[in-house]
Amino acid sequence: MTKPFFVQPPRLAVWLVNLFTPYEQAESIPGDLLEEFSELALKSGGAFARRWYWRQSVKTIGHLIGCGFRSAPWRIAGAVLLGRLLLPFGFILPEKIIVAVLRIFPVYPNYDHKNVVALWMFWVPLAINIGWVIAPIIIGCIVAVVAKGREMIATMTLGLTFLALRLVAIIVNRPGRILTRPDKLLGLITAFAIGGVIVREIRSALSRRPSPTHC
Amino acid sequence: MSNRDFLGEFEHIVVLALLRLADQAYGVTVRQEIEVRTGREVSVGAIYATLDRLETKGYVKSHLGDPTPERGGRSKRFFHVTAKGVAAVNRTQRALRSMTEGLDLVRSYSQ
Repeated sequence: MTKPFFVQPPRLAVWLVNLFTPYEQAESIPGDLLEEFSELALKSGGAFARRWYWRQSVKTIGHLIGCGFRSAPWRIAGAVLLGRLLLPFGFILPEKIIVAVLRIFPVYPNYDHKNVVALWMFWVPLAINIGWVIAPIIIGCIVAVVAKGREMIATMTLGLTFLALRLVAIIVNRPGRILTRPDKLLGLITAFAIGGVIVREIRSALSRRPSPTHC
Repeated sequence: MSNRDFLGEFEHIVVLALLRLADQAYGVTVRQEIEVRTGREVSVGAIYATLDRLETKGYVKSHLGDPTPERGGRSKRFFHVTAKGVAAVNRTQRALRSMTEGLDLVRSYSQ
């Protein structure tokens, strides 16, 4: 019997592997990595085992991404296309909602005209900024829900597709009205990925809940 | 799937490792067997990507074992080669033998 060994694998690497592992392999791949990590930690020490774990994790994630594309290409393509179609609405919607709310419920009616304009000048840009942050996260969540089991691959593909389209637009000298700034582009890609992480974590937590049929 | 299909290079190695390991074939042992016998470092992801492809083709089958504490309570996924998989290995081996027949690889092509 193997005696218990208390060196833990790198948490970030474990988390990343879990994010990209399909549900049907959620037992086998992280379990195999942990088993070999424990053996290596006993034989060669914790530092060596941690380095090994990171190397294996990076390679494994690469393979899982490739495998995910091959096993469900149409589902991923459909999810990415849906995200691309939803994006313009996502940017406009918060702004429209706040403008509509301000029209229906005038804020502080006893304010003079100048102050009302100042309030609008505060709320509308705020709505636009909220839209910039929340909309891509929500779209990332929707894409991840559609790409069931391949959440991270779909949201990353959406981000990279967007990046590729922007690069092509810049190269052919048609940068468009939005997203020419690299920080906003990076923020958008990160927000999609956050959406994917949220859905993946919720699904993982639900799948870990004990089933009533199991003892 | 046509019965003229051959195994790819890595698929061939993985199926041979499964045959060697018999009922002890799961991710860790397959990876270690390949590393020891070929000297090639492979990742767990590469093994599972190949095994999944082979399972889709019907060359291997898998089942989950019992959870073990050294794996954080996770189960091992054991694999075994099907009759179709054995036939594919034989076909690939025959093709390779046929292609190398009459070639003196060591003497004629080494520098």
